[in-house]
Amino acid sequence: MTWWQEFISFFSFAEPNVEIVFWGSLLLSAVSGLVGSFTFLRKQSLIGDVIAHSVLPGICLAFLIGKEKDPAYLLIGATIAGWLSTVAVDFISSRSKIKSDTAIALVLSVFFGLGVLILTNIQHSGMANQSGLDQFIFGRASAMNPADVQVFAVVDILITLVVLLFFRAFKLLSFDPQFAQSIGFPLDLLRVILSVITVATVAMGVQAVGVVLMSALLITPAAAARFWTDRIRVMMILAVVISAASGVIGAAISYTSSGMPTGPWIVIVLSAMALLSSLVGKNKGLLQARLLRWSNDRKIAIENTLKSFFYLTDGFEDDPGPISSKTLREKSRMHRADLRRGIFFSRLKGFLKKENGGWVLSEEGEKISKETVRKHRLWELYISKFMHLKPDHVHDDAEGIEHIITPEIEAELEELLEFPETDPHDKAIPKV
Amino acid sequence: MITEVKDPSIETHNLTVVYNKKPAIWNIDFTLPKGQIIGIMGPNGSGKSTLLKSIMGIVDPNIGYVRIFDETLDEVRDRVSYVPQRQSVDWDFPASVYDVVAMGRYARKGMFKRLNKADHEVILECLDKVNLLPYQNRQISQLSGGQQQRVFLARALTQEADVYLMDEPLVGVDASTEQSIITLLKQMKSEGKTILVVHHDLHTASDYFDWLVLLNTRLVASGPFSEVFAEDILKDTYGGQLTTLSKIASLLKEKSFPMRHK
Repeated sequence: MTWWQEFISFFSFAEPNVEIVFWGSLLLSAVSGLVGSFTFLRKQSLIGDVIAHSVLPGICLAFLIGKEKDPAYLLIGATIAGWLSTVAVDFISSRSKIKSDTAIALVLSVFFGLGVLILTNIQHSGMANQSGLDQFIFGRASAMNPADVQVFAVVDILITLVVLLFFRAFKLLSFDPQFAQSIGFPLDLLRVILSVITVATVAMGVQAVGVVLMSALLITPAAAARFWTDRIRVMMILAVVISAASGVIGAAISYTSSGMPTGPWIVIVLSAMALLSSLVGKNKGLLQARLLRWSNDRKIAIENTLKSFFYLTDGFEDDPGPISSKTLREKSRMHRADLRRGIFFSRLKGFLKKENGGWVLSEEGEKISKETVRKHRLWELYISKFMHLKPDHVHDDAEGIEHIITPEIEAELEELLEFPETDPHDKAIPKV
Repeated sequence: MITEVKDPSIETHNLTVVYNKKPAIWNIDFTLPKGQIIGIMGPNGSGKSTLLKSIMGIVDPNIGYVRIFDETLDEVRDRVSYVPQRQSVDWDFPASVYDVVAMGRYARKGMFKRLNKADHEVILECLDKVNLLPYQNRQISQLSGGQQQRVFLARALTQEADVYLMDEPLVGVDASTEQSIITLLKQMKSEGKTILVVHHDLHTASDYFDWLVLLNTRLVASGPFSEVFAEDILKDTYGGQLTTLSKIASLLKEKSFPMRHK
C-alpha cells in the first residue's frame, strides 16, 4: 500500500482499532479547541504549558497507586497534579517577590522533572503493565482503547455543558474581570471552574499529544480561528473545527507508519492550519494586507495617470487630440512602472482609449481626472488654512491624500472651506 | 477641609488598602452627597483608582468599610455602576460595540438569564445617548480612544444605576468627546444620579464638578467644589506627601509590619 492509500484507509475504519483512535483523537482535540479559546483570550498560554507538563507526575503516581493504566484513574491523577501546578504558580507569584513568568518556569520544570524521575523509576522497576506510560511524553493516539474513548466522551459532554452554561460569565471574565466583579459575578468561583475544565482537558489531551506539545493543542486552534473572525462564538466554533480536524488528520498520518508519534503530527497539522490562517485569514491576514496594498497602489496609479491628462489639456479646456505615451512619460512626473500600470488598468476599466497612436480619456476617465485634481486642491487649501502651512509646502501632502478622500470628506471639506473657488496657488478648483 | 453630609450617597469609614505591604490609601473617611458630580483628584499614585475599586469591592480594604445609601455594597449592587479605566481591557477582544454595551445588562440578568427585547431596546437607547448607534456592529479595536470610552459609558448606562463610579473617563479623548461626555454626565445628574469621576486635569475641573475629593494616599479634602478648590489645599495635595507619613509607610514595607493587630 502506498502512503496515501494507508492514510485513506484510516478513515474507512478498516481495522477496529482505527475507529477508536479516530473518535479518541476527535474528542480530545475538539474539546481542547473549545476550552483553549478561553485560555487564549485570557492570555494564559503559558499557564496551559505549565498544566500540560505538570500532569506527568500525576499520571505516574496514579499508575503507581492503581498498578494499572485505568484511564479514569490516570485522568484523575493528571487533573490533581495539573490543578496543583496552577495553585503553585498563583501562590508563588502572589506571595513572593517572584514574578509570574519566573513562577511559571519554576513550577513547570519542577513538576516535569519530578514526573520524568518517577517515570524512569517505574520503567526500571520491571512492573507489569508499565509499557506505554512513556508515551504520555509525546503522545500516542494508537494506544487508546475503548475504555479511554468512553471516558473522553463523558468528559467532553460535561465540559461542553459547563462552557455553554457559563459562556456569558467566562466571556466577561476574559474581557473585563473588574467589571464582572463589579456586577457581582462570583469571580473566584468562575476562575476555579475554568481552571478545572482546562486542567481536565489537558489531562485528557496528553493521551494523544503528549505533555510536551499539549499547550499547542490548547492555544493554536483559537489563535488560528481568530484570523477569520471578530466574533467570539464564531471563533470558538472555528477553533473546535480546526482542532478536531488537526487531531484526526494527525492521528491518521501517525497511523500510516508505526514509528510516528501522534502528538508531533497533530501539532504540525495544526501549525500548518494556523500558518495558513495567518496568511489568508480575512482578519489581519498577510495576504489580505498584501492585496489591500496592491489595490491601493493600483488606485493611485490610475488616478495619477488620469490626473496628468488634466494638466496636459489645461483642465480639459484645450483639445490637443490624443496624447502619446512619450508625452505622458515626460510630463506626468510619474515613475515609468507606475505610469505603465496606470495606463494598463485605466484602459482595462475603460477610462482610457487608444486613438491614432495616442491616448484619450473616456467620459468616466475625465470625471475621475477632474475629481482627483479637485480633491488635491481642496486638500491644499484645507491644510494651508488649518495647519497654517505656506502655499509652497502643501503640494506633497496633497499628492498622497487626494487618493483617499471619500465623497463624505469632500463634502465636509467644501463646507468647512465655505465652497471655495480657488486653491492656495490661485488655481481654480475644478467642478465635476 | 472635610465637609460631612447628612443622608450620604457613599460613606467610607477609615478605609485603608495596603498594596504590596504599603498603604495605597490610608484612613479615607468621608461622606459624599447625592445627585452631584463628584471629582476625585490627586497626583499620580495617590490612590484614586484604588479608592474607586475598594468602594466597588474589587479590592478588599484591609481596614475600614464602605456604605452606599447606608447599606452594604451587596445589598445595593444593582444601584451602583462601575466604569473601569479604558486601558484596563484588551480592545482586540473579539466583540462588537453592541456586544460590549450588552454586558451592562448582565448586571440585571445575572450569569444565566437571556437578554430579551426590552434589554435590546435599552442597549440601543444607550448606544444612541453616546452617539454610537451607527457603530454598533463595529469590532471594538477599530474604534478611536474616545469612542472606546463612550462604549464603556454606554455599557454603564444600560445598568440604570443610581451611583456611577468612573475611573478616568476623560483620559485619551478629544476635546469634542470630552464635552459630549460632560454634557451626558450633567444630564444624568439632572436625573438625580450621583457620579464619581476620577480626573487629573486641574484646568477643567471647575467646569465639571460640584463636589471635590482631593487625595494623596490620605484624604486631603472633601467638600463643595468652590470651598475645596483653593490654592493652599491644592498645594497640600500636590506639593508632596507628608514626610512623616511616607516615612512610616516605607518602614511598614521594609519591616513587613502589620498596619494593625487583628
